[in-house]
Amino acid sequence: MAALLGRMALACLVSAGMFAGSALAQKQGGILKVTHRDNPPSASIHEEATISTAMPFMAVFNNLVIFDPESSQNRPDRIVPDLATSWTTEDDGKRVVFKLREGVRWHDGKPFTSEDVKCTWDIVTGRVDGKMRKNPRKTWWWNVKEVTTNGPNEVTFQLGSPQPSLLVMLAGGFSPVYPCHVTGPQMRTNPIGTGPFKFVQFKQNEGIKLARNPDYWKPGKPYLDGIEYTIIPSRATAILALVAGRHDLTLTGELNPENAKEIQTQVPQMQCIVQPSNTQGNLLINRDKPPFDDERLRRALVLSIDRKAFSQILSRGVNKIGGAMLAPPEGIWGWSPEYMETVPGYGGDVEKSREEGRRIMQELGYGPDKMMPLKVSTRNVASYRDSSVILIDHLKSVYIQGELEVLDSSVWYAKMLKKDYAVGMNVQGTGIDDPDVQFFENYTCGSERNYTGYCNPELEKLYREQSRMTDFETRKKLVWDIDKKLQEDAARPVIYQSQGATCWWPHVKGLKLAVNSIYNHWRFDDVWLER
Amino acid sequence: MLSYLIRRLLLMALTLFGVSIVIFLLLRIVPGNIADILFDSAGLIDPAEKAKIVADLGLDLSIYQQYTQWIGGLLQGDLGYSYVSEKPVIEEIAPRIPITAQLAVMALIFSVVMGVPLGVISAVRQNTPLDYLLRITSLSGLSMPSFWLGLLILMACVHFFGTIPIYDRNPPTFWAWLAMMAVPAAAVGFRSSALIMRLTRSAMLEVLRHDFVRTARSKGLSERAVTYNHALRNALLPVVTIIGIEVAFLFGGLIVTETVFNIPGVARFLVEAIRWRDYPMVQNLVMFTATILVLINLIVDLIYMVIDPRIRYSE
Amino acid sequence: MSTTVSEARPSAPGFLSEVLYLSRRYPLGVAGALIMVTFVLCAIFADYVAPLDPFSTNARSSLAKPSEVNLLGADMMGRDVLSRIIHGARVSLAVAVGATVLGSGIGAAVGLACGYLGGWFDLIVQRVTEVMDALPLLVMALVITASLGPSLRNTIIAIAIPLVPHVARVIRSNVLALREMPFVEAAKATGMSEMRIAVVHVLPNTLAPLIVLATAQLGSTILTEASLSFLGLGVPEPYPSWGRMLSESAAEYVRTAPWLVIFPGLAISLVVFGSNLTGDALRDALDPRQHD
Repeated sequence: MAALLGRMALACLVSAGMFAGSALAQKQGGILKVTHRDNPPSASIHEEATISTAMPFMAVFNNLVIFDPESSQNRPDRIVPDLATSWTTEDDGKRVVFKLREGVRWHDGKPFTSEDVKCTWDIVTGRVDGKMRKNPRKTWWWNVKEVTTNGPNEVTFQLGSPQPSLLVMLAGGFSPVYPCHVTGPQMRTNPIGTGPFKFVQFKQNEGIKLARNPDYWKPGKPYLDGIEYTIIPSRATAILALVAGRHDLTLTGELNPENAKEIQTQVPQMQCIVQPSNTQGNLLINRDKPPFDDERLRRALVLSIDRKAFSQILSRGVNKIGGAMLAPPEGIWGWSPEYMETVPGYGGDVEKSREEGRRIMQELGYGPDKMMPLKVSTRNVASYRDSSVILIDHLKSVYIQGELEVLDSSVWYAKMLKKDYAVGMNVQGTGIDDPDVQFFENYTCGSERNYTGYCNPELEKLYREQSRMTDFETRKKLVWDIDKKLQEDAARPVIYQSQGATCWWPHVKGLKLAVNSIYNHWRFDDVWLER
Repeated sequence: MLSYLIRRLLLMALTLFGVSIVIFLLLRIVPGNIADILFDSAGLIDPAEKAKIVADLGLDLSIYQQYTQWIGGLLQGDLGYSYVSEKPVIEEIAPRIPITAQLAVMALIFSVVMGVPLGVISAVRQNTPLDYLLRITSLSGLSMPSFWLGLLILMACVHFFGTIPIYDRNPPTFWAWLAMMAVPAAAVGFRSSALIMRLTRSAMLEVLRHDFVRTARSKGLSERAVTYNHALRNALLPVVTIIGIEVAFLFGGLIVTETVFNIPGVARFLVEAIRWRDYPMVQNLVMFTATILVLINLIVDLIYMVIDPRIRYSE
Repeated sequence: MSTTVSEARPSAPGFLSEVLYLSRRYPLGVAGALIMVTFVLCAIFADYVAPLDPFSTNARSSLAKPSEVNLLGADMMGRDVLSRIIHGARVSLAVAVGATVLGSGIGAAVGLACGYLGGWFDLIVQRVTEVMDALPLLVMALVITASLGPSLRNTIIAIAIPLVPHVARVIRSNVLALREMPFVEAAKATGMSEMRIAVVHVLPNTLAPLIVLATAQLGSTILTEASLSFLGLGVPEPYPSWGRMLSESAAEYVRTAPWLVIFPGLAISLVVFGSNLTGDALRDALDPRQHD
């Protein structure tokens, strides 16, 4: 009898063990090796706007709140706690109170408190000098009037007007919480965070090393022992290294769909995802100087563009066409295909548009024998140059003879600022798929990233109006109308929305990319290696 | 001899001083500085922030002041701080120098080991099909862009071996290290080997003709063997000079080869530093390269003098 | 060429017989000259020789394999590789000739002045030459193009500048040697002015080594331009530059489109090869000390 009971008990234990074992499929250990493309200008996420810094260093930090990693689309209704355990809005949405997690420590052992949140946002809003060299997203926080603390575990954001997008901006990879006790210069070279990985090393032009944080506040995580990024500027070499098994993952969105196809023919089991990178190619048109101070010429320029051809050449047809906001289904705020037909220049018939463009040019006195000379400026970077070459080809269809002026990166922005250009081909990324981010960064009078100085006070009223709206559908309609007006005005004509490819070996598990931004979901605390 | 040496060292110092001025000025007339590049990567320019960076880095001082600051520090062994990484320049440069040095030395060895024997063979078998073949090969070596050669080698590796030689900081064995370095070294050294081959060939021909004619009617084979040695030694003189000149060309080859093969050496780093307008880095790297070049030239001249006491230098 | 040989030539004049004679005597040199002539003709008549427009992008032909339409294939933007190579000859020729003429011209003038004026001028130029020698060629060219901006004109300048001291040094030593020559002494004795002697006697005699030097430099200027364009500086879009055709975009598609890497590199190598062959033959012909 005892023996039978004993055997039953054993069987129970064994089966219990089996169940427990299958739940623990994630394996601990291993170092993830990632290929990197460009030397990050610094390790400080708040000071940079490039994926070169954002992807590697996001694992060092935590945010207040974060986009739910289980949702592939970054959405306002899929935001989950990170360092903040809960939050409430008060005073008609003008105040947001966060309750903070207790027992969290910085990598150097000091405790995390509400003071750190206050410090971070005081610096980022410009109220306090944090010795940062630059502050690219200062305009994001235009609505944050004050950040106050109430004890070590509560912090309050006081806003000027209700802003549903505030949480969205706090949830993105560009909004980590910095420690009060570490200076700006140190965060650039030796960042301290609360995140799943500790900073180990950053060798210029060579690589970045991160090591597991054993005291991470999520028990059992992260699974990896460390992450290593190797900087390989030559994309050809990076692809070869990945295929040879020397690396596990590529820098996100840096490959083009053609590269991904090539990799998969060599290694059929390689996982590759082609997704919008939320970067767009657009035109900077100088409205203050001839020739484009004339609205008709601006129109002719825009009518000559064959967006499908851009997409075909640059990405074999994969790049999306849309306005300032990322197109659906990946983008939340982009036009529906039906609405897009109503936007001038986006209709299907390119030849008709070009005919109209030619008509306008002929009225202005140009023709096939008298082409208008035009200098097209661009940066000396491959993607910019390629886009410009295609643009010049298209301009010929409306009697514009374009000539390319390639500018070294260091002089590009200076020239833009001085308005010393006629039209420039620009490629820019947007940190988060959100209209507040897009409009306030790029289209408000006086914003530093509003290179063309496009200023439309009527529209600005509309930006603020949509910023306050809480009902998603009504807000979306207004955003669509604003986007359409921006394209009609040729504020910054959007030519294409890039897709980028990311590839990894199948033994890398737990990777979840976001479909509407490349700048989020890089904590790596869920990732493990199956070996 | 001693006075000659002292004179050369003084000239060297003068030359390096000139180099420092040239590179310093060249960088300053280049439009755009580190502040512009930093902002470029952030996608905006805030004039106030930019002014702060410029002041922090001392870029708003007069050119004269900036120069004396740099040179003063240099003479005391302080190379300054990188604008980009904010670390001391020495820390950035020191680990990279051995990597490039390994590559350069291997390339030189390759070019001498390939070039000299082939040049001798070509001279001895003058005007035979073998000679023509070698001459055409060497001429191709001089005609091919070294980065194209590197790309072709990578393509071949991928095609035949399915992989490429990837730089590894800690190769497990000596043979692994050799395999890793050999391919890029060959790519860099191919051109130099072609040059050395041609030079050795023409020098050998020159000497052979003399001695050949002279001893044609005299003793026997053993004499010819002796002449061979004598001829070879004399023929090597121009080779030594060429090494001095080639080192400068080699650096250009190193730059592109390090780029193609992704080797984290000093040459590739210099190109990046120029792109970033990281003045302290570029200035010090160029001074370093210039010093090496001038030193090598001095050593070559000294070797020349030692080998052939007939040569005397006069100004 | 000794007088007996020229007398033994067939008396029938004519370009053809001249060419036949030369090709027997300097076969490699004539081969090189043929390559160079083809190169120059392609450059000048590119518009007529090239089958397609090198600038027009065509989405459908992106990365097309070599076929009837695109004899050597097409690049990522659908531009015909063969047409771009033919038009690229124009760019390479412009840079090579421009930089060589500019550099050699200024270098010769400086060398002449040094050899004649001597004194302080000579001393200073010597020092400057040493300084420039201590700076690697590619680094100098990189910094200069970075400062002036990438363009055709600036690439020519950037490549020409390091050429000047090299040429100047050779011309200078030549001039110094020539000044000691008896026929110069004789000219001075007859009362010719220094200036006249320089122009009438010295200059023509430096021409031969100058030409040899210049042709030798031609090849290396093409290579330098290729390296600069490969690194992203140098000649920018939309001029087709062989070096730039080989840069990143080509190397990425190494497996799917190897023709992007093979043909432009072949073009560069062939032209430099031709110029080296021609240079060698010229040196053999003009420099009596060296013959094999």
